[in-house]
Amino acid sequence: MSSPADPLLSVRDLHTSFPIRSALLRRKAGAVQAVSGVSFDLPAGRTLGLVGESGSGKTTLARTVIGLAPPESGQVRFDGQDLLTLPGADLRQARRQIQMVFQDPYASLNPRLTVEQIISEAWLINPGVVPRDRWATEVRDLLARVGLNPDHADRYPHQFSGGQRQRVGIARALALRPRLVICDEAVSALDVSVQAQVLNLLADLQAELGLSFLFIAHDLSVVRHISDEVAVMYLGKVVEMGTTEQIFTAPVHPYTQALLSAVPVPRPWASPQRRQIILAGDIPSPMSPPSGCRFRTRCWKAQDRCATEEPALADRLGDHSSACHFPELPATPAGSK
Amino acid sequence: MDDPLLSVQDLTVRFRTRAGTVTAVDRVSFDLAEGETLAILGETGSGKSVTAQALMGLLPRPAGQVAGGRIVYDGTDLLARPRSDTRRLNGTDLAMVFQDPLSSLNPVFRVGAQIGELFRRRRGASRSEARRKAIELMDRVGIPAAARRVDDYPHQFSGGMRQRVMIAMAIALQPRVLIADEPTTALDVTVQAQVMALLAELKAEHRMAMILISHDLGVVAGVADRVMLMYAGRVVETGGLREVYETTGHPYTRGLMASIPALDGPRERLVPIKGSPPDLMRLLASCPFQPRCEFATDICGTERPELMPVPARPESHRAACHHAKEVATDVVPG
Repeated sequence: MSSPADPLLSVRDLHTSFPIRSALLRRKAGAVQAVSGVSFDLPAGRTLGLVGESGSGKTTLARTVIGLAPPESGQVRFDGQDLLTLPGADLRQARRQIQMVFQDPYASLNPRLTVEQIISEAWLINPGVVPRDRWATEVRDLLARVGLNPDHADRYPHQFSGGQRQRVGIARALALRPRLVICDEAVSALDVSVQAQVLNLLADLQAELGLSFLFIAHDLSVVRHISDEVAVMYLGKVVEMGTTEQIFTAPVHPYTQALLSAVPVPRPWASPQRRQIILAGDIPSPMSPPSGCRFRTRCWKAQDRCATEEPALADRLGDHSSACHFPELPATPAGSK
Repeated sequence: MDDPLLSVQDLTVRFRTRAGTVTAVDRVSFDLAEGETLAILGETGSGKSVTAQALMGLLPRPAGQVAGGRIVYDGTDLLARPRSDTRRLNGTDLAMVFQDPLSSLNPVFRVGAQIGELFRRRRGASRSEARRKAIELMDRVGIPAAARRVDDYPHQFSGGMRQRVMIAMAIALQPRVLIADEPTTALDVTVQAQVMALLAELKAEHRMAMILISHDLGVVAGVADRVMLMYAGRVVETGGLREVYETTGHPYTRGLMASIPALDGPRERLVPIKGSPPDLMRLLASCPFQPRCEFATDICGTERPELMPVPARPESHRAACHHAKEVATDVVPG
C-alpha cells in the first residue's frame, strides 16, 4: 500500500497510438498518435480536469488509464501498482476501483435491462464485492444516493429523462465502490439546468466517499467549477498544467489563453477587458503532427525555433508547468491578450 | 414605426404522435426588423427548433402541423400561400444553417457542386459560372485554398470547415433573413469563436436579419440584439439582451443563469433549477414552469400567465410570469 502522500493515480510518459491500415493489404500505413508522452499525478480525493478540443487525445488518455486502449509505452500507476505490468488477478482487483461515467446517457445504458440489472451486473462480473442477497438493498441505496427514487429500480432506461439516466450511469459507476471515477464528458449532453444538478451531485459524492475524479470536458467553465487541478491538452500532449486558479487566472501558454478567450460568457459587458483571440485554422491531423511545437501552426507567437525544437512541459515562469518556448502572463486576467 | 421584415403572430405547431397530440409551439409571437439579430434560447423540447422549421416550411410531415397563427414576411402571410411559393422564398429570402453540417450535406456530391447547384437551379447559371461563384463564396466564408477544395467531398472537411460550407450555401442567394439553428453546438470552442465571428461579419455586410437559435446563453451574448426564451413551447421572456440578462423577469431565465458555472470570480455551489423539464404530453394548462418554480403561488397553478411588461423597460421587456415584477427586483443569489 502507498502512503497518504503518494498520488492515487500516477501516469508517466504515456504513449497510445492507433495503427492505420492500408485498404488493400491491411498493411500498417501509419499511426495516429493519440496520446504522446503524457504525465500527471492525481492525489486521492481530488479532481483533475482534462481539457482540450476534439482530437486532443483526452478520451484516449482516459481509455488507456481504464484499460480500454492498450498503450505503446509509459506507466499507469494506481495506488502504487503499475497497471500495465500487473498480473491478471491483481489487475482485476485494481481495475475494479477505477470506474467510468460516459458521455451519452442514451447510448451507455442497455435498453433491455432494468436499472437494477444494469447496476448489479457489476457484482455479477466481480463476485465477492456484494453478496447476492444484498443486491436489491444495495441497488436501492445507490439509487437514493444519486438522487433517484429507490422504487424505480425495476424501470427501464427509456422511462427516465436524460439527467436521470446520467444518475443511473453514476450509480452504476459507484456500485463497485471505486476510488477513482473517470468522467468522460459526463455532463456535456445535459441541458444546463440539469447539468448543474449533476455537478452538485458529483461534488457531494466526492465529499462523502472521498472519490478522486479524472474529469474530462470541453466546457471550460464546468472544468473550472469542479477541478482542483487542470491539464490542458493539444494534439496528444499536455501543454499546460497547474491548479485551477493558476490555469484560469494566469495561463501562460498561448493555446490556453486562446481557449479561455474563446469561451462565450453570458455577460461580456461585465468584463470589458476581455479580448477574444481568434485562432486561425483547425487542429492538425494527429497522423502527421507538426514538427517541434505542435501548436505552432496556429500560434501567433511562433518563431523558427518552434518548428525545430519541441518545448518540454516544465516550470517556466516559477509557478506552474507549461510547454511553450515563449511563455508569457496575459496582460490582463482571464485569458485576454 | 416601419413594418417589421418578419412578424410571427400566435404561431402554434402540433405534432401527432402515437401517444397523442403534442403542442410543440404554443402561441409564439415575435417581430424581426431588417438587420436585427434575435436569439431564441431554450433547452431540449422548448420548441425553439420547431419554430425555425415552421418559418422555413420544413416541419416534418404529416406529423407536424401549423395549427394556428400567421408568419408575415415582407407583408404577406407565408402560411396562406401555396407550399411551392414558400419553397421559392427559401434561399433568396429566408435561409437556414443547421446544427449538424455532416448530415445536412450530401456525402456523395462535391461541395462545390452542392453550393453551385443553388446558382444553377435558382439563377439559371451555367456550370462554369456556378463553379466560379462557389469558389468565390467558399473564399468569402474563409475556406483556405477554395479553388482546390471546391472539388472535395464533405467528409474531407473538418467540422468547422463544413459549417463554413453550410454558411456559404445559406448566404449564396443573399437572403434577407438567416436562421441559424445551433450553428456552433457541434464545434470546438476555438472554432465556435471563428464561426460566430464570421456570422457577425456577414450579417453586417449584407444587412441580413438573423434568428440565432441556441441553448447557450453565452454564445448569443456576443451577437444578439434581442433575446427570446422558450420553455415548453411558450415564450417565457423576451426583451433586449441586457434587459433580459440583467433585470431578469422570469424565474426560469434566472434559474438558467444560476446554473451556469462562472469563468471567473469565486467558485460557489451551483443553484440548479429543481426537477426536470416538463413532459409535453402532460402539460399544465396553467404555468408550465410552476412545478419547478421557487416563486410559485396559488395563482400559478390555476391561471396561465401571459407576457407582461417588466417594470424597468416595460416597452420592450416582457415576461410570462405572474410574479415578473417581484422576480425582476429580487436580488439574484450569488
